[in-house]
Amino acid sequence: MSQTSNPNDKAFPFTAIVGQDEMKLCLLLNVIDPRIGGVLVMGHRGTGKSTTVRALAAVLPSITRVAGDVYNRAPEEIEQPDAPVKTAHNGLRDAEKHPARAKSERIPVPVVDLPLGATEDRVCGTIDIEQALTRGVKTFEPGLLAQANRGFLYIDEVNLLDDHLVDVLLDVAASGWNVVEREGVSIRHPARFVLVGSGNPEEGELRPQLLDRFGMHARIITITDVAQRVEIVKRRRAFDADAAVFCEAWEKEQRSLRNRITRAQKLVSQVELPDDVLMVLAQLCMNLGIDGHRGELTIARAAAAAAAFSNSHKVSLADVRLVAPACLRHRLRRDPLDAERVDSDEKIERELQKLVAVKDHGSETHPAE
Amino acid sequence: MTQLGFTEIVGLDIGKQALLLLAVDPQLAGVAMAATAGSGKSTLARGFARLLADGTPFVELPLNVTEDRLIGGLDLETTLLTGKRAIEIGLLAKADRGVLYVDGLNLLDPGVCMHIMDAMARGMVRIEREGLSATYPARFMLIGTYDLSDGNVTRSLLDRIGMIVPFASHGDARARAEIVRRNNGAHDDRLVEEQMLRGLIEMAREQLPRVAIQDEQIEALSRAALTLGVEGNRADVFTIRAALASAALAGRSDVAESDLELAVKLVLVPRATRTPEATEAEQQEAEQAPSANGPAPTDQADKDSPKDEQDKPTPEQIEQLLMSAVEMDLPADLANLPFAAQRRGKTGSRGVILNNRRGRYARSIAGSLRENKIALLPTLIAAAPWQKIRRQERLEIGDSRLSVEKSPISIRKEDIRVKRFRDKAGMLFVFVVDASGSMALNRMREAKGAATRLLQNAYVHRDQVALIAFRGQSARVLLPPSPSTDRAKRELDVLPTGGGTPLASALLAALQTVKQARSRGIPQATLVLMTDGRANVALRPGEGPASKEQIMQEIHHLSRLIVFDNINAVVIDTQANYLSRGEGRKLAEHLNGRYVCLPNAKAQQIINVVA
Repeated sequence: MSQTSNPNDKAFPFTAIVGQDEMKLCLLLNVIDPRIGGVLVMGHRGTGKSTTVRALAAVLPSITRVAGDVYNRAPEEIEQPDAPVKTAHNGLRDAEKHPARAKSERIPVPVVDLPLGATEDRVCGTIDIEQALTRGVKTFEPGLLAQANRGFLYIDEVNLLDDHLVDVLLDVAASGWNVVEREGVSIRHPARFVLVGSGNPEEGELRPQLLDRFGMHARIITITDVAQRVEIVKRRRAFDADAAVFCEAWEKEQRSLRNRITRAQKLVSQVELPDDVLMVLAQLCMNLGIDGHRGELTIARAAAAAAAFSNSHKVSLADVRLVAPACLRHRLRRDPLDAERVDSDEKIERELQKLVAVKDHGSETHPAE
Repeated sequence: MTQLGFTEIVGLDIGKQALLLLAVDPQLAGVAMAATAGSGKSTLARGFARLLADGTPFVELPLNVTEDRLIGGLDLETTLLTGKRAIEIGLLAKADRGVLYVDGLNLLDPGVCMHIMDAMARGMVRIEREGLSATYPARFMLIGTYDLSDGNVTRSLLDRIGMIVPFASHGDARARAEIVRRNNGAHDDRLVEEQMLRGLIEMAREQLPRVAIQDEQIEALSRAALTLGVEGNRADVFTIRAALASAALAGRSDVAESDLELAVKLVLVPRATRTPEATEAEQQEAEQAPSANGPAPTDQADKDSPKDEQDKPTPEQIEQLLMSAVEMDLPADLANLPFAAQRRGKTGSRGVILNNRRGRYARSIAGSLRENKIALLPTLIAAAPWQKIRRQERLEIGDSRLSVEKSPISIRKEDIRVKRFRDKAGMLFVFVVDASGSMALNRMREAKGAATRLLQNAYVHRDQVALIAFRGQSARVLLPPSPSTDRAKRELDVLPTGGGTPLASALLAALQTVKQARSRGIPQATLVLMTDGRANVALRPGEGPASKEQIMQEIHHLSRLIVFDNINAVVIDTQANYLSRGEGRKLAEHLNGRYVCLPNAKAQQIINVVA
């Protein structure tokens, strides 16, 4: 591969990013539980959307994969007989036949950046041109979806991406499998990734069909606090002046966040969702007239991840409150004739408050916050 | 043709200053300049390149550049010859560590804009296409010029360019004469002057790391950005860089007032979205309201500052000085600035669709030939890797019908690549909404409802919409052609009503809007007029109230122009049936358009009539 990576191309540390808490939270919750279904970050230009997403990689705990596996599969995945993985990559056949002998390695969670000009063959994978030209051999060369397996796939300016490519991505994201069939090349490999998209609504709106396929929708605006702005500029300047020194200075924070994420990842499957909280979030989605059950499911998962992140074994109403706007705001039916034109966030907050009030009235045992 | 030197182009002073700063600190990313044709902009850019170190690349980006030329792609010839993947690098990578010059920033294809922005954000280009995966460094300085009469530059691209010179300045007559004189005369001094500037830049580059900026100054710049309503944080960083570069050019090691001023002028002022007065008013309002923020820090600082810090001004004081210094640079109408023009003007990246028929060839995708045009080269590229395999397969199965020799190239259905063309959105709908007093409130609601349904329909079809409202003395374009139906809805929602019915003014505005849109490649337009047709304000108010005849004549005349220009029209009459004197129907006849009576019409009917 002719990948010429840039060694001095350090990313800005995630923990050094000032403000924009909602976006950061959404990303972290998806790290803790990838089933939340991805994040769409929409907002003003120049507010650090892509900086934040690209900074994520450095705080992600590493994962174990079969050594050298281009699909980043975990050792136990290769053993699973019910996973009909069809690959055509050299070198691994041995490991697939004899999983017990396979060596494993730790790698950082992949964060794959999808450039806008990417063609479908590079996204999904295609035959290796070189092999085909020189030896007449059909070898599958995995694409970006393979690289992104068990990690993150990031699309900046998602609203400008070709529609057919977005469809492909969403289909794969939903099924977790990438299937390539062509002239005797028949590949099926796992492609489970968290889809993160960002964009500026001013550049064009996202198709409504795409909108609600993202688990969470973070909103981001220009920071108007002088002190924060000055801090942003100072950190940026320090980073530009000497990235290595700057990153070193933030390493402690980075490590502590990484540990916190690791702990939360372990905890999240044990987090309990009390019935009364479940009732509140179901009622919330009902009152807001949200179609389907994706809203409830997303809140439940995100709230559990939030609980785990704050080292709690039980989802509280505060957790629900924290995640509800980002889980629901893109699912509210937009009523253009609504005379009041209530902001979707306000609407969610209003319903939440009503429910919390009712609940407090009903039982004194759970203080709201 | 003689070549002018950088130093010889007069009358572009502020632009030149910006270029000098860029030469000192290439991380300022670039300079965007508004300029009219013949103002010497491309000469200036070339002159600028000569000021940089020898061998600095200068790449001029043609407006019709294709994606593979821009970011790079498979070098088919070499690949076939050697059997090894060879990449032909694109223009963005070629401009690495040099100058990328674009004449007509606002005419760039949105796809091209995206790639430029992406390269600027990462400092490299990434190729993920045609089985290739590679990255190349692409750290270039972008020098872009644009002619304002062609519309605005995409704001997100503009935002990544450090310095912006938003107004074309021709200087005075003397300067213009000087241009002519120098163009004709000898350039004896040119080399000397250029040498001097090169030396100056080199010295400033060495000085740059030694220049320090005070925290108060940083804060003042941040405050100034807020005061001017600058979006995002990118500008804050650019301002500081510009101030530092300016100080370095002057050979100083600290940032002076004048450096800050220049920086604000070049970075913040062009990005302003509101006036300092507006911000001030808002702040006062906020201060009057009971706030938990404590006492205003300004007064505190004034009273309490100890004597030894007296000559150190507070950030607020610096900001005030800066604001009064750049006041003159703020145009009376902020809408003339590229970023304040948000709710007006088109931005290049919107409203473009890829289709299989019209427009400019942008890229190729796999597809069938039935409804598309073949893209020959991409098809060959797609087929190339399979040749050996297919030949072997054919030999294996012993296909005797086609001997290998007779068909040197085997192309199968899967190889076919078809052309995708980039085209502006298919149709423009201009909503012309009557907001005069005669539109009683309830009818206005109905009109808005109908408009909203039409907007939804337009959104589905990716059409563009424009919104013109008329009331009082004249019509106003609330939203120029844009694919953002959402914005149109928002504008509609806050539309005030009352006053006369200047229908003629509305027709004129609609006509102009369509004509402008056509010059930008949106050929089809439909006017959707929502009115009761009771025009009572003339286009050109003469002495005294306009006569009914005059008004009718104007409307008649404008209608003929609209028909002549092949613009479709639909009149949605908002007048209740029993009150109507047939004005709406008459208007539809004039416009050779269709007529719907709103109070009776069902939403779907309206859509059917319009679409």
